[in-house]
Amino acid sequence: MKLEDFEQRLQRQALRQIPTGWRAEILSAARVVETPRCGVGQRNALSLPAILSILNRQLSSLLWPHPKAWAGLAAVWILIFAVDFSTRDTTPILAEKAAPPSPEVVAELKLQRRMLAELIGASQAREAGLPGFLPQPRSKRVEILMT
Amino acid sequence: MRRETEIERLYDGHAQSLFAYLLNLTRDEADTRDLLQEIFVKLAREPKLLAGVRDERAFLIRLAHNAAIDLMRRRGTRDKTKENFAAETISPFAPANDPDEKVFRDELADALAKLPEEQRAVVHLKLWEGLTFEEIAAALDISPNTAASRYRYGLDKLRDRLRPIYEEIK
Repeated sequence: MKLEDFEQRLQRQALRQIPTGWRAEILSAARVVETPRCGVGQRNALSLPAILSILNRQLSSLLWPHPKAWAGLAAVWILIFAVDFSTRDTTPILAEKAAPPSPEVVAELKLQRRMLAELIGASQAREAGLPGFLPQPRSKRVEILMT
Repeated sequence: MRRETEIERLYDGHAQSLFAYLLNLTRDEADTRDLLQEIFVKLAREPKLLAGVRDERAFLIRLAHNAAIDLMRRRGTRDKTKENFAAETISPFAPANDPDEKVFRDELADALAKLPEEQRAVVHLKLWEGLTFEEIAAALDISPNTAASRYRYGLDKLRDRLRPIYEEIK
């Protein structure tokens, strides 16, 4: 048999037709993921589900190539947050556990508070035109403080 | 009247060809449907894939071919196809009314299924898509010489296998 005749014979064989029901099924599956082709004016009209869908798709395309690497990075971040929170919690506990101030320190603080009150009182009396604290030699001031 | 969308235009223009090609490669109607859906979903998701493409049909055949090869690799379909073939074969040809024609188509489907996939792909695209060797080469990412030699080997095998029936019903 001639090769050309054989080729023509083969070419005449009709191929099976695509099932008609597939069109609706395949196109509906395609429409679900169809990327909207919209202009700048239409961009604001995108619904929330559409935006979430686009965001999901973008994130999927970003994360999908190396899921283990992204999972590892997420785990590291979780660890950092955990450490941060545990450190923050211990700070007030340490303050509560700190030893109370000694009587000497308390006395010193009381003395300083009294000196401050006297200084403020003298200043207020001068502003009111009343006789108040007058400059005196340092030795005198020490005596006043000691009393 | 509703305007035809881009994806509908692509489906109406190319789905039949892709279906026949995929069915000839996979010999499985469910696989063919899955692959066809995969292709159109991909086109819908990434419409820019077709931007700058001069020959849509060749581009889509390439997509289909790659998808089919991926599927076969995933499932080890080469062996599966051979096993299935013994039990049940989905013919890529339309049913024939004429008894002689029916016998010839059945034998042809059988002989095609026994060809290596790379030869079957080239034979299909040359005979039933009418592509040139250059177009086949571009679609399958091979050289035109490779496409031509695969076609020649494939056709010779088909002729050898179909010679008895061909001579009988000629």
